[in-house]
Amino acid sequence: MRAELKELWRFRELLWAMVERELRIRYKNSLLGFFWSLLNPLVTVLVITVVFKFFLQNGTNNYSAYVLAAYLPFMFFQVCIMDSAQSVLGAVPIIKKVYFPREILPLSNVIANFIHFLLALCVYFVYLFVLWGVTGFATSPFTWKIFFLPVLLIVNFALAAGVSFFVSAYNVFYEDVKYVVGVALYLMFFLTPVMYFSETVYYALKAKGMVWAYYLYHLNPVATLSTAYRKTLVPTGMIEVKPGPGQAPVQMYMLDFDWTLFWIAVAVSLVLLVTGYAAFNKLKWRFVERP
Amino acid sequence: MSEVSVSVRDLHKSFELSHTGAASLKTTLLWWKRKKNLERIDVLRGVSFDLHRGECLSLVGRNGAGKSTLLALVARVYRPTSGEIETHGRVAPLLELGAGFHPDLSGQENVVFNAMMLGLSRKQANERLDQIVEFSGLGRFISAPVRTYSSGMQARLGFAVAINVDADVLIVDEVLAVGDIAFEHKCFNYIEGFRSRGGSILLVTHNLVTIEKFADRTLWLQDGLVAKEGLPSEVIPYYRQAMEGPQAAP
Repeated sequence: MRAELKELWRFRELLWAMVERELRIRYKNSLLGFFWSLLNPLVTVLVITVVFKFFLQNGTNNYSAYVLAAYLPFMFFQVCIMDSAQSVLGAVPIIKKVYFPREILPLSNVIANFIHFLLALCVYFVYLFVLWGVTGFATSPFTWKIFFLPVLLIVNFALAAGVSFFVSAYNVFYEDVKYVVGVALYLMFFLTPVMYFSETVYYALKAKGMVWAYYLYHLNPVATLSTAYRKTLVPTGMIEVKPGPGQAPVQMYMLDFDWTLFWIAVAVSLVLLVTGYAAFNKLKWRFVERP
Repeated sequence: MSEVSVSVRDLHKSFELSHTGAASLKTTLLWWKRKKNLERIDVLRGVSFDLHRGECLSLVGRNGAGKSTLLALVARVYRPTSGEIETHGRVAPLLELGAGFHPDLSGQENVVFNAMMLGLSRKQANERLDQIVEFSGLGRFISAPVRTYSSGMQARLGFAVAINVDADVLIVDEVLAVGDIAFEHKCFNYIEGFRSRGGSILLVTHNLVTIEKFADRTLWLQDGLVAKEGLPSEVIPYYRQAMEGPQAAP
């Protein structure tokens, strides 16, 4: 693997050129360009907020701030994995002619999506700042916890890259992978605390005496990361959660950051990154000669 | 002429051929069916040759003889099943009809990207840009998206990139006859210069006139083996005879 990383380093300029190319192509023929990638989360979060605040009558103030904090990283992961399915397959005509480290293909896709995610986060900060200034939202976007954000971003990147390696490599041989991944990501959205709070999950399972299932739920590193982003970006706000069946919802602070869950997510992400890269390297010479 | 730029020893390459065409989970999971669907094909069965600096070696053979596979192996696109390939210096394939060009990007953006794909650094690619545009003769069209180009323009641009990346070995697979006569002339002149500077060429073409004009040596591939090797004037007559033979016989 070391030789492969060295070779990748030798081609780093091509990797950046490919990232640049992907960013350029994406909105080349559209009028609003980058704003399309902001419009999607904004509209989605608007709908989620309406459903949860008004239909389900959750009394959390500034619900949208919490939803966005988890939805932006989720969307990064989702789009990244969906795009990665075609990243190698779509380039087969080129890699049949020219040699370069094949891992550049999925990696450039992950990096391009990551840059989009970072830009979206910048817009999110502006949003938080406006909420803080205009509506007097208890949370300022600038607390010391913000320094934890880069750590989350790195773990998130490793996770996305690892899964992308698997998906992009296997989708060359079995295009079923693309469909399986599409369904898995759709279901994952419901099993990830984006629309709701992980506290809701915790109290619901605790009332049934099934706290172990709370840990099972968090074997999905995306779930852990969603909550971690929330606690990093919107740390001091009050949320409304039902502490048990039949009880009235109460306003409370979010549960303390669970380091055990976090380290599990880090471990899962790193294992996926290393095994994904290994699997990709094992298959990459057969991409051009798939039967 | 004695320095070797590509050395190929006892090269074997086989592929798995699928009769169903569909690559899906089904074919992997149903392993007892797989054996019927997949067939191994030995495309190259022990090929050896040397390509010297400044030399133009042409490959001939009927369709499916393994010429393109051999080129792809030299370009490091495939891994050999067994045998060795040793290359000295940079190998640049001439991409056919703008493969690797993105239709929505301008000619200029594509040139820089393709030059980097062929092994130049970004700095080198930007330095060569003017030279490449000049050679392609595209002029002001260079800033238009490649999708607006004619196939001739795309091929000219692709050719211009490949020969301006300072490769040591140029791989030419049946792509020379793309531009008009003037451009073809320009290419041939360039290739002469390229060779006199020590560059070598691996050429695949069915145009025997081109071979007689350019190639120093000819390698005739038949069923994955070298049938005959030598001066074009020595090999071509036999090759021609073999190709025309069966039809000429009563």
